[in-house]
Amino acid sequence: MKKTQTATILMVCGMLPLIGAARDKTQQSAAPQPSANSSISPPPAYTPRPKDAPPLEDTPAQREAIAAWKLKAVQKNDVARAAHNAAVAPAYNFHYGKNNLFTPGNIKVQGAGFIQPGAFPTAEYCGTCHQEAYTQWRQALHSNAFRTPFYRTSVNILIRDKTRGIAFARHCDSCHNPIGVISGALTEDSKVDRARFDSDGLTCTTCHSVLSLDSTNGNASVQVGVPAVIVDEKGERIPGMVPFDMILRHPERHSQAVMHDLLHKPEFCAACHKANLPATLNDYKFIRAFTAYDEWQQSKFSQRNPLTFYTADFTTCQGCHMKRSAITHPDYGAKDGTLVSHRWLAGNTAVPFYYGFDEQLSKTIDFLRAGNYLNVDIFAIKKVNDDKLIAPLGRVSYNLAPSDTVEAYVVVQNKNIGHSLIPEVRDLYEAWTEFTVKDSSGNEIYHSGFLKPDGMLDPRAHSFTNRPVTDEGEFVDNHEVFTIHSVAYDNTVPAGRSVLVRYQFRIPANITGAITLTARINYRHLRQSYLNNIFGKDHPAYPVVEIASRTRTLKIGENQPEDPDPADNPDWMRWNNLGIALLDQFQYQESVQAFTEVIKLRPTYPDAYTNVGLTEISWEKYDSARTAIRHALSLDPNNIRATYYDGLLQRRAGNTEQEIGDFRKVVGMFPESRDARRELGITYYQQHENEKALEQFEALQKIDPDDLTAHYNLSILYRRMGRPEEAAKQQDMFIDKKVDDGAPTYSLNYLRTHPEISTESIPWHVHSDLDEGAGGVEHGK
Amino acid sequence: MASNFELLAASRAALRLTLMAVMFVALSARAHAANNCPWINEATASGIIGAEAVGSYTDPTPSQPAVCNFVQSGPSVTRTLRITVLQTPHFQDLLQAENKTCTGTATPMVAIGNEAIACSADDRRKVFAERVVGRVRDQVFTITLSTTQKDDSILNRFELKTRIATAAEQVSGNLF
Repeated sequence: MKKTQTATILMVCGMLPLIGAARDKTQQSAAPQPSANSSISPPPAYTPRPKDAPPLEDTPAQREAIAAWKLKAVQKNDVARAAHNAAVAPAYNFHYGKNNLFTPGNIKVQGAGFIQPGAFPTAEYCGTCHQEAYTQWRQALHSNAFRTPFYRTSVNILIRDKTRGIAFARHCDSCHNPIGVISGALTEDSKVDRARFDSDGLTCTTCHSVLSLDSTNGNASVQVGVPAVIVDEKGERIPGMVPFDMILRHPERHSQAVMHDLLHKPEFCAACHKANLPATLNDYKFIRAFTAYDEWQQSKFSQRNPLTFYTADFTTCQGCHMKRSAITHPDYGAKDGTLVSHRWLAGNTAVPFYYGFDEQLSKTIDFLRAGNYLNVDIFAIKKVNDDKLIAPLGRVSYNLAPSDTVEAYVVVQNKNIGHSLIPEVRDLYEAWTEFTVKDSSGNEIYHSGFLKPDGMLDPRAHSFTNRPVTDEGEFVDNHEVFTIHSVAYDNTVPAGRSVLVRYQFRIPANITGAITLTARINYRHLRQSYLNNIFGKDHPAYPVVEIASRTRTLKIGENQPEDPDPADNPDWMRWNNLGIALLDQFQYQESVQAFTEVIKLRPTYPDAYTNVGLTEISWEKYDSARTAIRHALSLDPNNIRATYYDGLLQRRAGNTEQEIGDFRKVVGMFPESRDARRELGITYYQQHENEKALEQFEALQKIDPDDLTAHYNLSILYRRMGRPEEAAKQQDMFIDKKVDDGAPTYSLNYLRTHPEISTESIPWHVHSDLDEGAGGVEHGK
Repeated sequence: MASNFELLAASRAALRLTLMAVMFVALSARAHAANNCPWINEATASGIIGAEAVGSYTDPTPSQPAVCNFVQSGPSVTRTLRITVLQTPHFQDLLQAENKTCTGTATPMVAIGNEAIACSADDRRKVFAERVVGRVRDQVFTITLSTTQKDDSILNRFELKTRIATAAEQVSGNLF
């Protein structure tokens, strides 16, 4: 018995000197940076146990050995952490106070003080057994989140800013370089060896050490635990790297340590894919930066919002960006030869281009093109001096003649993206519509959305970008987010919605043959002027990816209907998308007409009537809206979308009981509907049912912690209920988050000096080279 | 099963160990003055050199580059990490001139600044060195990692090449 016990201890601890030596070397030296293609030694031998086999039972000796290891590991970590804190704290810039080590970021850590970088097992350690994950991660954005020039250029500006400095960069680095932040490296006289983590950005054990999500406020609102890759039999975490034998004997304990349920939730992604600029960063006020999470929550994929125009199966962020695929390297985390992607394919082509990660670049481009994410529809044409809309193109007959001045309607549908186009940092990422008209010889008749020889985008292109501005009305060209005071222009296509882009051109008088219209959605990471800021002007051209396109050939003379392209939406959906686009451009009459065409094609489709109704509510035509909504409910009495709009109309009519009934029904079926919670809260508030109103606004705030209506009403309700502290807190948040009354002035200062963007900022505008000053040839001219 | 006495003794030992380590690190941290090198801190430079190094920084003049110098001197070996940075409109000329200081074949580096090369820069077998020459926009930088010992147990040729790549990423990243 004793012999067995000793042997077991030796077996478990046999790895100790090896691991210890490797770790010491890492702590002293700059960790060599393996290239993405560098080979890793084969993983240790492992034969997975049958899926339904129970975990191995440890002998008493094995338990004792693990307990001894754990005791030593805990002591070692405690000693190292105390020593690290003693070294770092004296020189640390406690700009935000000793209790706010990581402000303006929201990141928190387990225990007190900083966590030493050495506490985080290296990616190479994890990669020994997870070679597929490691290889993918090395090329992915997460591992390069800090070191890329695209990030460094902007964060360095903040670090060098005379009135701010490196302490303020904790806001950015909490997501881009969390180990740097929580190890206390972000201070002027840093005592931390940065080579140990800068190159790895978000390493394996940053995400896999997150113990809890504090909120959905973003800015890294997570609590990072002391990293552990295994727990003991009681479920207690054993810090640091352990011998691989220990993990391979108890993979279930490894899983318990690193695979928390929260990793599968969209709220986990929200921690960093939702960001705001707090007053602690900008000395101004809260400004929303981006929130892909909320956009997802409002999309059809979350199934939390009953008001979407279309429906879909439930899909999380991970469902699109971490798709399971076959492995090509050994990985003990694989299931049936597949692993969830650790490439997080999305839209970043610049980083793999810069690093020469060709596989990541090619997969990123494939991802952008493969998802049926966008639909481009050259939906209609309209001849100047003729109000008739020739639509849908391809399904109706019409005539074209030389010298006709034509307006083309291009409808871009955000069909299957779970967030807006573009979701984040629209000041840097660039997507736009390119539209060409060519004659039968390929000669260009009209071209919008071209790239100039210097790489700059046509300033009159229809782009899905934004223009954040300073308090002087100057464009924040270099992602100096701390100077943003307003957004002069912000153009995006929210998930599930559509945008109409109109182009006007004249057919040449001497035309022969047909003309070809092509609309493309192009995407570039990053905007040329930002690339110039990073590299100077002498850098290679960065990739431009065509995400979706559609071409139509129009004959001079008579055109007959033709078979649709397989990728085309059905006719009813084409009209529906036009209606949505017109609604968002405040063209209510035309929008109702488009939705009415949907009714003609699908007379038993309740949403067609609801769409007419909701447009008429926006148009303040409540009687006809009521007729439309009632029709939708007559087709489907449980149609929850129509029920919501019926609630609004019942309120208008003073039918409080029905109003409450409607909203309660929506909340009952969609408890995370922020709109329904908000409206029900308002209804109760108006009825002086304070407790019930409070319940709704508190629920709303859990869904969206930034909802202004919730802040405002809660501040009043708490005060009425004798809870002044909570009232004051809500009031403060309302004031902080409400858009500054001066913001429009800053925006207007910018727009006055940028007529091209000024035109673009008007929802209903036309692109034309015929009379640019007037925005194209006006009808009736 | 350990007795209470044994557990108490173990925890006292752990406490003593913690205090000693804390004092050691605190003292060693205080022993170094703040270093002003804008592109790499002393702890990182020490990690790259492989032992505790002392740094110095010299401001640039119109004709001379800014210089960071980190030196670890021992009885038998001196290890140095030297970084120079000069901002100039004639950066291509300067790059070409600096490239000529290589004593070995220059190899282009991927993803370091706008462009960079790595090469050996040994000095007649007295100094064994690797060098990176590159630029970020119009800032030309050189990084030289050297040892005076031919078969240095820390900075052998492989380590020189590996570690200077880390230094190059740190320096270029801070120049962006």
